[in-house]
Amino acid sequence: MRTAAAAEWGATARSFSLAGQGAQVLHVRHLITAGLLWVVLTAVGELLVIADLYPTVGSHEAQDFDDIFRFLLLLGVPVMTFVFAVLIYAGLQFRIRTAVPAEDGPAMRGHGWFPRAWLAVTGCLAIFVMIYPGLTGLAELQQGDRGASGWGDQDAEVIIKASAFKWQWLFEYPDGTQVSVAAGKELVLPNETSIKFEINAIDVVHSLWIPAFRMKIDAIPGRTTYVTVKPNKLGDYASDQAYRVQCAELCGLDHAAMMFPIRVVEPGEFQSWLASLNQGGN
Amino acid sequence: MHALKSVAGAAGLGMIGFYLGLGFVAVLRAMLGYPDAWGGEINIVGGYVLGVIGWLMGIGMWGTWSREWFGLKTYQRQAPGWQRYFTFNTDHKVIGIQYLVTFVVVFLLAGTIALGMRLELASSGMQFISHSQYNGAMGLHGILMIAVAVASVIGGTGNYAVPLMIGADDMAFPRLNALTFWLIPPVAVALLATPFLGGIETGWTAYPPLSTTTNSSQILFDLAIITFGLTSILGGLNFLITIIFMRAPGMTWGRLPIFVWSMFVTSWLALLYTQGFAVALLMIMLDRVAGMAFFNAEAGGDPLLYQHVFWFYSHPAVYIMVIPGFGIALEVISHFSRKPLFAYRYAVGAFLGILGLSGVVWAHHMFTSGMPNYLHGPFLVATELISIPTGLVFLSALGTIWMGKLWLQTPMLFAMAVIFNFACGGVTGIFLADVPTDIHLHDTYFVVAHFHYTIVGGEIFALFAGIYYWFPKMTGRMYNETLAKLHFWWMFIGFNLTFFTMHLPGVKGMNRRVADFPESLDNLNMLVSISGWLLGLSFLVFIYNMINAWIRGPVAESNPWRARTLEWQVSSPPPHENFPEQPVIKGHPYDYGVPGSVHGVFPNAIASAPAAGTAGGGQ
Amino acid sequence: MAVVAPTETYHAVHDHLKLNRAGLWLFFFSECVLFGLLLSARFFLEGIERGELDQLLGLGITIILLLSSVTAFTAETAIEHDNRKLANWGLIATIALGVLFTGGVAYEWSIAHFHRNEAFGTLFFTMTGIHASHVVSGIGILVLVWVQFLRGRYSSKDHWPLAGAVMYWHFVDVVWVFFYPALYLVK
Ligand code: HEA
Ligand code: HEA
Ligand code: CUA
Ligand SMILES: [Cu+2]
Repeated sequence: MRTAAAAEWGATARSFSLAGQGAQVLHVRHLITAGLLWVVLTAVGELLVIADLYPTVGSHEAQDFDDIFRFLLLLGVPVMTFVFAVLIYAGLQFRIRTAVPAEDGPAMRGHGWFPRAWLAVTGCLAIFVMIYPGLTGLAELQQGDRGASGWGDQDAEVIIKASAFKWQWLFEYPDGTQVSVAAGKELVLPNETSIKFEINAIDVVHSLWIPAFRMKIDAIPGRTTYVTVKPNKLGDYASDQAYRVQCAELCGLDHAAMMFPIRVVEPGEFQSWLASLNQGGN
Repeated sequence: MHALKSVAGAAGLGMIGFYLGLGFVAVLRAMLGYPDAWGGEINIVGGYVLGVIGWLMGIGMWGTWSREWFGLKTYQRQAPGWQRYFTFNTDHKVIGIQYLVTFVVVFLLAGTIALGMRLELASSGMQFISHSQYNGAMGLHGILMIAVAVASVIGGTGNYAVPLMIGADDMAFPRLNALTFWLIPPVAVALLATPFLGGIETGWTAYPPLSTTTNSSQILFDLAIITFGLTSILGGLNFLITIIFMRAPGMTWGRLPIFVWSMFVTSWLALLYTQGFAVALLMIMLDRVAGMAFFNAEAGGDPLLYQHVFWFYSHPAVYIMVIPGFGIALEVISHFSRKPLFAYRYAVGAFLGILGLSGVVWAHHMFTSGMPNYLHGPFLVATELISIPTGLVFLSALGTIWMGKLWLQTPMLFAMAVIFNFACGGVTGIFLADVPTDIHLHDTYFVVAHFHYTIVGGEIFALFAGIYYWFPKMTGRMYNETLAKLHFWWMFIGFNLTFFTMHLPGVKGMNRRVADFPESLDNLNMLVSISGWLLGLSFLVFIYNMINAWIRGPVAESNPWRARTLEWQVSSPPPHENFPEQPVIKGHPYDYGVPGSVHGVFPNAIASAPAAGTAGGGQ
Repeated sequence: MAVVAPTETYHAVHDHLKLNRAGLWLFFFSECVLFGLLLSARFFLEGIERGELDQLLGLGITIILLLSSVTAFTAETAIEHDNRKLANWGLIATIALGVLFTGGVAYEWSIAHFHRNEAFGTLFFTMTGIHASHVVSGIGILVLVWVQFLRGRYSSKDHWPLAGAVMYWHFVDVVWVFFYPALYLVK
C-alpha cells in the first residue's frame, strides 16, 4: 500500500537535483556532515602512516619499501575511509525507524555527471599509483636488466651463490667459502656494500626472503635468479629476528624451519671473518 | 526410508566401482608386465573414476538420464517432503538448497580446521600438532574454503534465485544441474580422505615440483579438483543458456536484476577459465602417474609453466567468487534502501569490465617467481586497471544508500558489510599489485589478510546476506531477527578484529604457511588467534537460528521484504513450476519511488493469490 | 511486447533444440581453452623445436580425420532429407575413419623416437593423447547414436542427438587442424 506522501515523494524527487529548496538544503547538510566524518576518519586512519609497522630497516631497499608502503597508505586510507564514512553516515542517518518501510526513497538513478566524475577520479588515481610508485619503482628495481630474472643492479661488489634445498640453504662466497647449517651457521654480510645473491634450487621451488632487507625472489630448479641488496645497518639475528634468510615458498614438511641467521658487520670485520672461517678448516 | 536408500545405495555402488577400478587397473598393469600391479597411483585414478560413475548411477543418473542414451525409457524417483533433498532431483530450487546446505556444512568444517590452526599459531614454537599435520590442515582449509567460495553462492543462491528472478520455470538443463550437484560428494570424500594418504602438503596452490614429488594425497587432490572444475564449467554453461534464452517476455538485458547480471558474468568466467585449473592439475597427474616431464627442469620442463596455467584460472577464480557477492550486495542494498540501483548501467559495465580484464592479470601472483623481467610491467598495469571497474561497484552501492530509506534488517547489514570489508580488501590488493611493495609482502600474512578480507569479507558476508534474504522464500519460515542481528554484529566485529590485525605480522615479517614463527611476533599472533576464535563462535548463533527457524519458525509471508523482483511475487516456498503462469515484465526491477511503476505482471491473473495482477508494484 | 495466451495450467514452452545447440557451443568454447592452453604449453616449453616424427603418417591421419568430417556431414544432411541409407553409410564411414585415425595415433606412439620423460615427448603424448581421448569419446557417442539410428529413432524432424554428435566430431576435427601443424610442421 503506497501512502499518498510516498507517491508524492517519488513524483517530485526524480533525479539527483532534488526538487525544492528545503530538500536541497537538507541534502547539502548531509553532504557536509558526511564529508566531515570522512575527514575525521581519514585523520585517524592516516595515523597508520606514521605508525611503526615495519621490521628493522636493514638496507637501502628496505628504506625504499617503507617509503612506498607509506605513500600507498597515504593514498589508500582516504579511499577506504570514504567508503566507511558514507556507509556509517547513511546507516545512522538514513535508516528508518518504523518496523517496515512506509515510503520509498528518491528515485536517483545516477545518469548524470556524478558517475562520470567518479570514473574520472578513480581512473586518475589508479593510473597515478600505477605510474608512481608502481612502474617507476619497478624501473628502479630492474635497472641494468640484462635478461636475467631478479631485482637490483647486476654489478655488485660481492656475489654470493645461494642454493636452496629441502629444507636449508647453502651459501658460497666469491672465494669459495661455504656456509650452511653444517658450516658457519651464520651468513655474514658486509655493511654498505652491494651484495648480489645468485640463487638456484636443487629440488623444489623455494624463495629467498630477508625481512630486514624487504627483498624476495624465488629459487627455482633449472634457472638462476638473483637479488641485489645493500645493507645499511649493522645487526644480527640474535638481537633482531628480521635478520634472517627465510624460505618464503611452501616447500613441504620443514618449510617453516627453513631459516638461516644473518649478521651484518663492517666491511673490514667481514674480511677478517671470511679469513678466519677459511683457517677454521672449512 | 527413501532418502537413506538412495544415498546408501549410491555410496555402495560407488564403493563397488572404486574397488573395481582399483582391480581393473591392477589387472591391466599385470598384463602389461609391470612389476607392481597394485602399487601405482594410477590404480587410485582408476578407482576414483569408476567410483564416481558408480555413485552417479546409483544416485539416480541411470534412471533419469543415461537410459536415454541406450534408447530406454527414463524414470525419476519421487521422494516425498524433505527426502527429495537426498535424491537426484532436477528442480532448481531443490538443487539450490542442496548446494547451500552442503557448502555451509563444508564451510563450518573448514572453519573448524582454521580454528585448530589458529590454536597452533597462537604462539611461536610447536604446541599441539606437527609440521606435517599443520601443512595438511592448512592445505585442507584452503582448498575446502576455495571450493566453498567458488560454489556456494553460485550453486546455492544462484541456482535457487536466478530462474525465479528471470521468470523461468527451471534451468535450461535440469538434469545437468542435478549432475553438477551430485558430483560434489565424491569431491568432498576425496578431499577429506587426503589426511589418510599423508595430507595435502602443498597448500591449495599445489606448486610443482613439490606437488609432483609429494605423497599420494596429491593425486586425490588433483582428481577431486578436476571433478570440481567440471561442475563449475557445466554449472556456468547451464546458467548462461538459462539467462540468455529463458528470460520472461519483456525481461530485456536492461531490466535484468543485478544479481542475475553478476551470475551471467561469473558464468562466463567459470566456463572459460576453469579449464586452466584442470589442465594444470592434469599436468601434475601426468608427471606423477605417467612419468612425464612438464615440470622437471632437468628434462626440459619448467616449474613456471604450472604457475602460469594455474593462475590463469585462479586469478579469474577470485572474481568468480566475488562477483556474485557483489551481485547479492547490490540487489539487497537496492531493495532495502527503497531506491533504484544507482548507476545500474555502470554496475553492469563494471562486471563486464572485470570479465574483460580478469584474464590478463594472472602473473601478479608471480611477481617474485623469477619469471622474465619484461612481464612485470604489463601485469602491474593490468592489475591496477581492474580497480577502476571494481570501483564502479562501490559507486553503485554508495549511491544507492545515499538519501535512501535504509531498512536495516539482517540481509541489509550483511550487504553493507560486504562493501565495508571489500573496501579494505581491495585497497590492500593495490599494495600487492605494486611490484616494489609486493616483493616484501608476497607470501606473508599481509596476503593472507588481503584474501580473507576479499573472500570472507566480500563473498562470505554476501553469502550470509543471501541466506538471510532468501531464507523465508526457501523455507517458507522466518528466522529470528534478534538472533540474526546478534550473529551479524558478532561476526562483523570478530572478522575485522581477526583479519585487520593479521596485516601487521605480515608486514613485520611473518610468512604464510608456517606452523612456527619468530617469537617477536607472539603478541600479534595471540591477538589474531583470540579474535579468530571469537569470530568462529559467532556461527553457533547462526546454526541455532537457522535450524530452529527451519523447524518451528513463524510462517513467512510471500514478500516479507516488500521487494519488487519476481521471486517475491509467488508464494513462499514457490510452487514446483515457480509461477502460476508466465509472468510478463513491464519495467525495471528497482524503480522504487517511481509512482505507478511495475516490474512484472501476471497478465491472466485470475485467482492466483499473492500480488494479484501486478508483481512488484512497490509499496 | 509478447503477451502470453491464457492457459489452463501453466507450462513454459522452450525451444529445446536451440538450447541444446547453444549449450554445445558453450561447451566448445570451454574446450577451446583446454586445447589452447595445451598449445601454449607446447610453445612455452619447446619454442619451435620439435622431435622427429613420421611426416607421412601425420599427413595420412590428418587426411583421414578431415575425410571423416565430410562423411559425418554427409550423414547429417542425409538424415535431414530422410535419406536413411546414405545416413547409415555416413555414420559407419565416420566411425571407421575415426577408428583408423586412433589406430594411426597409436602406431605413431609405438614408433616414436622420443620418450615421454623428455619435454617434447611429454608434450607430444599429452596433446595427441588428450585429442585422441576426445576422438575415442566421439566414436563412442557416434556408436550410441548409430545404434539408435538403426532402431529408427531419428528422422528429418527429430535428429538432435545425431546432429549434436556430428557437431562434436567437427569440433574435435578443428582442434586437430591446430594441433597438427604445432606438432608436425613447425621448425
Ligand atoms: C575474492 C577474492 C579476491 C579479490 C576480489 C581480489 C582482488 C584483488 N586482488 Fe587479490 N588475492 C586473492 C583474492 C582476491 N583478490 C587471493 C585468494 C590471493 C592469494 C592467493 C594465494 O596465493 O593463495 C590474492 C592475492 C593477490 C595478489 C598476489 C599477492 C602475492 O601473493 O604476492 C595480488 C597482487 O597483485 C592481488 C591483487 C588484487 C587486486 C589489485 C584486486 C582488485 O580486484 C581489488 C580492486 C578493488 C579496490 C581497489 C577497492 C575498491 C575501489 C575503489 C573504492 C575505487 C578507488 C580505488 C582506487 C583507484 C585504488 N591479490
Ligand atoms: C572462503 C574462504 C575462507 C574462509 C571463510 C576462511 C576462514 C578463516 N581462515 Fe582461511 N584461508 C583460505 C580461505 C578462507 N579462510 C585460503 C584459500 C587459505 C590459503 C591456504 C593456502 O595457503 O594454501 C587460507 C589460509 C588461512 C590461514 C593461513 C595459513 C597459513 O598460511 O599457514 C589462516 C591463519 O590464520 C586462516 C585462518 C582463517 C580463520 C581464522 C578463518 C575464520 O573465518 C573461520 C571461522 C570459523 C568457522 C567458520 C568455524 C565455525 C564452527 C563452529 C562454531 C563449530 C560448529 C561446528 C560444526 C557444527 C561442525 N586461513
Ligand atoms: Cu623452502 Cu619453503
Ligand atoms: Cu589475483
